Amino acid sequence: MKVKMKMPDLGTTVDEITVVNWLVEVGQEVKRGQALLEVETDKATMEVESFVSGTLEEICVPVNGVTTTGSVIAVIAVTDV
Amino acid sequence: MGTDTIKKYEKEFLLGLYERMFLIREFEEQVKFLFLEGVMPGTIHQCQGQEATAVGVCTALNNDDFITSTHRPHGHALAKGVSPESMLIELFGGVTGCCKGKGGSMHIGDVDKGMLPAIAIVGGGIPLATGMGLAFKMKKTPQVVATFFGDGATSEGAFHEGINMAAIWDLPVVFVCENNFYGASTHVNKVTRLKCIADRAAGYGIRGETVDGNDVLAVYEAAQTAVQECRDGKGPVLLELETYRITGHSRRDACQYQPKEERERWKNNEPIGAFGRVLVTRDDVDEGDLEAIRSQVEQTVVSAIKVGRSAPEPTVADLLTDVYA
Ligand SMILES: Cc1ncc(C[n+]2csc(CCOP(=O)(O)OP(=O)(O)O)c2C)c(N)n1
Ligand SMILES: [Mg+2]
Repeated sequence: MKVKMKMPDLGTTVDEITVVNWLVEVGQEVKRGQALLEVETDKATMEVESFVSGTLEEICVPVNGVTTTGSVIAVIAVTDV
Repeated sequence: MGTDTIKKYEKEFLLGLYERMFLIREFEEQVKFLFLEGVMPGTIHQCQGQEATAVGVCTALNNDDFITSTHRPHGHALAKGVSPESMLIELFGGVTGCCKGKGGSMHIGDVDKGMLPAIAIVGGGIPLATGMGLAFKMKKTPQVVATFFGDGATSEGAFHEGINMAAIWDLPVVFVCENNFYGASTHVNKVTRLKCIADRAAGYGIRGETVDGNDVLAVYEAAQTAVQECRDGKGPVLLELETYRITGHSRRDACQYQPKEERERWKNNEPIGAFGRVLVTRDDVDEGDLEAIRSQVEQTVVSAIKVGRSAPEPTVADLLTDVYA
């Protein structure tokens, strides 16, 4: 099963959330709770964890790309939910 | 927590403490993933790393004793016996939740289990606990109330008024300060000159004690003594339990104010792992026993989440029931 990972609600006061760095490459295994990427909001730089275990299939927002809460940031092929 | 202390108790009692602490951890971790999945609304204040305070105190209480809680209430609720299922339904806003879907995370509670719905106003539970203590005293029941609050709450006016009134009337209230060293991002050193919050007890003429809040047996023993003093009319008591949250203040908090080295040190001393390491020094407990408890608890939480996800929401007809204003 494929799961779309959305940008969680980080309590930002402005809409834009910038992707600083992807910590995992496409094709790599990710574990539930593992940090997938670093983002920068108007408040802080923080890591975003995966809520599923599986294989990272697609990165939807590149480094320096800007996204918003609730937008799809990655697609993960799930091994267990 | 020495290997001697661990030998004083029955195996079942000790494994029960381990199970309760792990239930809290697993509940909080699963809720975190639901939040990251985007299906859990609002923000959530979680208590990973602070499980021993809730479990140690609530284990020293009877079913008909009461607690009050804070914006960080999940651990207190689970420790007092509120069911994980009724809590998860509540978090999903379901009508069969412990507050009928109208409370959510920050108002979790169940009066039948001896937990007033949590109060998210910092320090807000303290005067209510004093009022409950007065009620118990006037009714001449042997009940006790334990009121949980953070280090930040001890600089609120409500703390002073609540604890002073409980003191002058010898009320059966255990004031439980979970000192996790931060009020949101502000270090406790920035809001008080005291090195030790328990020292505040002297200002009210009551007994205060600082306890290792990551040692579940130390917390249990201190709470047991305090509860007995309250039942004997020698209360109130102030307990300061030193602990640490190994997660953000809320789910939106990146926690950058916690120095990495400090955080690592506390992580290595988180209460569940620490208790497990001492437990297996007993001849009759091995890692397999702990593993069995963990997988059983995981099942409990997973099935509670299933129920929570599909719980019916309140309807328009429910809008004006159980509300006062
Ligand atoms: C009266 C009041 N002021 C401010 C807030 C916002 N607030 C929520 S939690 C918190 C920090 C509380 O710190 P502490 O009492 O140490 O509890 P902890 O979060 O560490 O468990 C603050 C300032 C509030 N809820 N109520
Ligand atoms: Mg605090």
